[in-house]
Amino acid sequence: MKSIKDHLMFILPLMAMLIGIEFILVFNRITSSYENKLKNEYAILVVSQKNLTTPYLRSIDDKIDSVEAMNRADIAKEVTSGMQDAALAAIMKDLPFFYRVHLTSYMSLKELKKIRSELKAVNGILNVEIFGENYHSKHTIFRLVKMLLNIFIVMLFIVSIMLVIKQMQVWQLAHKDRMKIMEIFGAPMMLRSGILFKVAIIDAIIATILNMLIFLFIKSKWSQNSDIDFVKHNQDLLFNISDFFILFLTAIVIVAISVFIVAMNTREVPEG
Amino acid sequence: MASIIAANNLTLAYEKGKNIIINDVTFTIEQGEFVFVTGPSGSGKSTLLKSLYGQIKPREGTLSVGGFDMSKIKKKQLLQLRRNIGIVFQDYKLINEWTVEKNVVLPLIITGYSLDVQKVQAEKLLSHVKLSDQANKYPLELSGGEQQRVGVARALSKNPFLILADEPTGNLDEFSSGVVWDLLENACDQLNATVVVVTHKIPTIFNIPYRHFIIENGGVHEVH
Repeated sequence: MKSIKDHLMFILPLMAMLIGIEFILVFNRITSSYENKLKNEYAILVVSQKNLTTPYLRSIDDKIDSVEAMNRADIAKEVTSGMQDAALAAIMKDLPFFYRVHLTSYMSLKELKKIRSELKAVNGILNVEIFGENYHSKHTIFRLVKMLLNIFIVMLFIVSIMLVIKQMQVWQLAHKDRMKIMEIFGAPMMLRSGILFKVAIIDAIIATILNMLIFLFIKSKWSQNSDIDFVKHNQDLLFNISDFFILFLTAIVIVAISVFIVAMNTREVPEG
Repeated sequence: MASIIAANNLTLAYEKGKNIIINDVTFTIEQGEFVFVTGPSGSGKSTLLKSLYGQIKPREGTLSVGGFDMSKIKKKQLLQLRRNIGIVFQDYKLINEWTVEKNVVLPLIITGYSLDVQKVQAEKLLSHVKLSDQANKYPLELSGGEQQRVGVARALSKNPFLILADEPTGNLDEFSSGVVWDLLENACDQLNATVVVVTHKIPTIFNIPYRHFIIENGGVHEVH
């Protein structure tokens, strides 16, 4: 019973830290995917008197990815429905060119405004509509959630580190005598801390596997029943097999640092 | 004979304390010698012993053990030296989570001997200390005398060139004391190990020649 408690005392804070790291990984993937989605669905509307080409607009701002001309006839038809062909021809003659301008990546509102002013300064461009508020409001909420999550993860880390330190003190008490005796008989530090390292490695493996199971459950079960469409359609973002290796490596690093500190604290300092 | 231990104007003191424990002493101990160190409580007997396995560094003078200069010895060299020294403590210093058998072969585990060698050596030594039937017990299941016999078996398990014993029979009954003295005598006589024993009282029956140092008022004097 005591042994199980000792293991849990290390596994739980380790799991909390790993959950924090997995949250960061998942949220970064979701953010990136969401921004990509926003970028793909988004275009700046440009009204121009002259023909515009992608190379020309890229020379003005390299964040511009491509330029797509809108069908002028379709636009003219919408405004001339019920009119005679002669009227349509007259309108077509004076109708400017309409373009959808796509960007290379997700831009902040400030960057969008900068692109708008650059485009407006081009001779022949009559108007530029960035639809900034609508585009940006969705992302602002997303960023707020991300910031709150980061604060939560930092708090989780601080509490977890304190619990790990507490467990290191328990280890120190439990292993001090054995490690000191082994040192008197000439055991190097690796051998003295080997037993503790083995115990901690087992805890690290358990914590990593439990974490993986939690996120696999979220991926396979929870996300299917989720009301969030984006999550439902992007289940792959919730757990990657590479995450397992990242988590395991992190757990090993935490274990190595913890055991090393315990070993350093129990080593003999010659007097005199 | 080669000097296994050589102290030259050796002074020992604890870093935090101002009082000097051993003051400006010079002596040598040769290979295969049996040495008793006696003296009143607090005279520095255990301090001298600790300096021989590097737990206390010389404050002044030089101390050589097994060819190593103990004031300049590096950590790695100290561990290497200790692997070839057998140490017996008054409070046994056994690992309570390990079985008797595993405790006995601790020096072999540290040096990386195979499990087969460990097993053979443990059986032989436990038979010598008359504890063959206790091999799978844990130290806290044994009496004080039995624990000390385990401690002596551990000290002998790697045939060390030097055996240091701090009050090895201090807490023991007559039978266990007899076993311990026999083992230390044999180690010196048959294995040619140097044995340094700190004790309050030299046993009345002792079958091999020995030297006797008395520590008093910071000095070490040999009784002839």
